[in-house]
Amino acid sequence: MIRNSKIILAGIAAVWVGLGGCGQNPEKQSAVQLKPPIQQEVEETRPQFSQPVLATVTEKTRKNYQWYCAQCHGIEGKGDGINAKLLTVPPRNHTKASYLETRTNEQLFEAIKFGGLSVGRAPCMPAWGHTLDEESIHSLVQYIRELCQCEAL
Amino acid sequence: MIQRILTLFCLGGLLSLSPLSAEANVLEENNCGSCHRLSSEDTDKTFSGPDLYYAGNKFQPEWLREFLKEPTVVRPAGFITDPGFLQGASENLDPHPSFPDEKANVLTKSLLGLKISEQTPVVRNALSKGQRAKIKYQFERTFGCISCHQSLNLAGKVRGGISGPSLVNAGNRLQADWIASWLQKPETYMSKSRMPLYKMESDTQNLFVQFLMTLKKENIK
Repeated sequence: MIRNSKIILAGIAAVWVGLGGCGQNPEKQSAVQLKPPIQQEVEETRPQFSQPVLATVTEKTRKNYQWYCAQCHGIEGKGDGINAKLLTVPPRNHTKASYLETRTNEQLFEAIKFGGLSVGRAPCMPAWGHTLDEESIHSLVQYIRELCQCEAL
Repeated sequence: MIQRILTLFCLGGLLSLSPLSAEANVLEENNCGSCHRLSSEDTDKTFSGPDLYYAGNKFQPEWLREFLKEPTVVRPAGFITDPGFLQGASENLDPHPSFPDEKANVLTKSLLGLKISEQTPVVRNALSKGQRAKIKYQFERTFGCISCHQSLNLAGKVRGGISGPSLVNAGNRLQADWIASWLQKPETYMSKSRMPLYKMESDTQNLFVQFLMTLKKENIK
């Protein structure tokens, strides 16, 4: 009997440890939970766009963002990447709707493709046009819209 | 008896082979291969340190020797494969092991023997003051290199981002031809780097390499 209860206790402990392990990174988890409704929102508003390319946010888009953009813009796009404090002009916080709604998708596309200077912004942002194809850049623009939960006004 | 002869034979074999293989395997013996890719064919594994199978193309011998004796931090945020890279958790990283003089010399010699055939020769001209100012401007503004790479500003102070390797001592660390080759075809050296690709005119690229070669830690003020 005692042995049985020990086994049960051990089982409970194992499950608890497992859950604890998953919960170690709450930020990541909440980011995952946030994805579906926002993506839906992008789908719904798409017809109202004048944007010529119908870009969607895919796993590849998120990976590109983490691989390239997150160095400066941060893992969650809050403008707090590892280079952020060392730049003369802080990287844009992509979750800040009040600024991003003043930018059109075309402006965001150009900033990524040709660099910050091309749209009159900081030169710290390099041009990614030789690294990412246009489709990838269009989908990054959509991802920024997802991060800020906003559209161009 | 036969056993004894065999043992002697084996020992003799080991003795005659050991100096040679020790030279060739010195990198493996010192566990360099546990963190660094030492062969271009070793493609399936992810390594926690930079690739060294082209160390002979990339590094200057004197820098390599000094680094092995007294390692300095080249990548302040760690290497791009570190799980904590984007978190800026580089303080948790183990420092590079240091080696006594003689060992450092042997390792340097072995590392310089690791080469690939790719090379982009650079035309070596000293930069004029104007050219230097122009390229420095491009380094910071046109190409935005400073966002990820540390370099020296006009006052000799270290400035710049940390996600890429520091270029403060690039002129002592790197070979000019390698920098040119990296700028032109980075995929030769890294299947996917975090640096944007640049398509520079060959003149600009040449000047750029010359500029990077002027960055030396002696110039820190």
